[in-house]
Amino acid sequence: MMTKTDTDVSVRGLDTIDIGAVVRIDEKIGGEYRPDVWEERIGYYLRRDPDAALVAEVDGEVVGFMLGEMRSGEFGLEEPTGWIEVVGVDPDYQGKAVGRRLTEALFAHFKSCDVHLVRTLVDEKMSPIAAFFASVGFEPEPLRPFVKRLT
Amino acid sequence: MRTRETSLPRKYHDAVVAWRKTFIPDYDYLLENWEAHFPKEPRFKLCAYRELGICDKITRACDLKAEQAQHLLGAIKTQASTEFGSIQQHRLTLARAQNEEDQVWVLRMMAEELRHGYQMLHLLVEDETWSGLTDQSPDDMVEEALSLQTRSHLLSAFNIDFDSFVDNIVFCALIDRVGKYQLAMQRISAYKPMAESMPKMLREEAFHLATGVVPMRRWMVSAAEGDVFVTTDMLQKTVNKWLQRGLEMFGDERGGGSNVRMGLKPMKNAEAQQQYSDEVDKLVRDLNMRYVRARLPELAHAEAEQVLAKIDEGHGTVDGIAWEDLLHSPHPHFFRRRGVPAFTLTGWAGETFESFEDYAQHLRRHLPESYLASLDFKDYLEKLRAVCAGETTIEDAVRAMPALRRVAGSCPCSRSVRWVREDASSSANGGAANP
Repeated sequence: MMTKTDTDVSVRGLDTIDIGAVVRIDEKIGGEYRPDVWEERIGYYLRRDPDAALVAEVDGEVVGFMLGEMRSGEFGLEEPTGWIEVVGVDPDYQGKAVGRRLTEALFAHFKSCDVHLVRTLVDEKMSPIAAFFASVGFEPEPLRPFVKRLT
Repeated sequence: MRTRETSLPRKYHDAVVAWRKTFIPDYDYLLENWEAHFPKEPRFKLCAYRELGICDKITRACDLKAEQAQHLLGAIKTQASTEFGSIQQHRLTLARAQNEEDQVWVLRMMAEELRHGYQMLHLLVEDETWSGLTDQSPDDMVEEALSLQTRSHLLSAFNIDFDSFVDNIVFCALIDRVGKYQLAMQRISAYKPMAESMPKMLREEAFHLATGVVPMRRWMVSAAEGDVFVTTDMLQKTVNKWLQRGLEMFGDERGGGSNVRMGLKPMKNAEAQQQYSDEVDKLVRDLNMRYVRARLPELAHAEAEQVLAKIDEGHGTVDGIAWEDLLHSPHPHFFRRRGVPAFTLTGWAGETFESFEDYAQHLRRHLPESYLASLDFKDYLEKLRAVCAGETTIEDAVRAMPALRRVAGSCPCSRSVRWVREDASSSANGGAANP
């Protein structure tokens, strides 16, 4: 049983040697082994903004990751916005402030780039995720995603 | 944090563009097809970026202590040499890629290395106070950086020809990782222009590592599935070719104290080298996991880890996967030409050899066949033979190795091509000119 406190969590930039760890955490959460997906995705984020691709470590082991980027002008949202797009925390380390430490580090990065608005999208069915983002200060906003499936 | 974007003075900018036309002939293809390969990503731009707001640092070279300034000048020139040098290596085998995405990633990486070299020239040219610290004019410093070629660069890793696209990829994974260390260490440089240059370079370097690591991961899968294009044996031999040069890029294991004392880097050579080595071990383990899971897809992660641990422990075969099927880091003293273990007869696994001939045969078994026919390997082996025969000292052999044959020479007048031209407008159409 893990008894780590948040002081044991350190956050650093994601490196390509962390791809395996990200794949492992994703598999642990979702039950599916998807290395190809993460190789492609991490390649993308490392090109876009590697400072917004982070991992959290406990005792040298990667236990969480967060991927984000800054954009502006999309969907009429002119103000530069930091987006948190992907977050994953090893289930054995959930509740140990791993996600919070990652979020704080990403906020710091966005602020250093003069970005003062952060957004994310959460599936309403995933209430723990919504609760997590609420706990780090996110509020719902009247911006609704619309979707249409093409047949 | 604000970013300042600048261009070199026209004649130097044009010199770099002319150089680029020679050494990155596919540059226009990259830009023309940028959106197809990197949709919505900012287009590449050849310029220097400085991230402003790094305080309490020295802004002019003339305000550095003399010894500090000389170290820094050497570091900037070396950095420039590595940036331009790697492009010259990559271009040899870029066209041989079997996969278009891998090829375009390398091409983009080459363009970014060009920008890194440009950034270093910016450091040499913008600060006019270098003139009081070196006899070289800015013209000559730029000319020197652009005139170096494979076998005249300042570090061994950049004097070795690529033989196949496997070299492009493994080089990115291993040698660019050293680059990441050097850039990260220079981020704390006491010289503000250097420190301000690093953040953007480091961000680009993160992608360069992916350019190597992602294809290596995919090759491990293909090898596990029985493809014959890039086998683990081929990858292992290519790792053996490059990793030792990477270790040497940190400098002699006994050194680095001056850089720390002068505030130019935070770590001595041995400490940085050890951290690098640990990271490479992690990479190798990660690649092996990819292989094991591809060979044994029925296993869950934890089970695959157990298989890998058993194979590592006994160097045997578990569930049909032999230790030899996987990748391994060679012993750090194997095939070394600089640093503490230079020109010792240390084998791949750390074993010691008594005779030069036996060691040469051992190297033959562990290095890529195409590399054995290279000038670099011949030079190394000749020096090693001379050391073993008592005809030269290790120190003299070490001194002789990095420079090898200086194809271009350090004097701009010694070449038939000159990149920097006084009349910048006449070179705008590209191409180097005769002096």
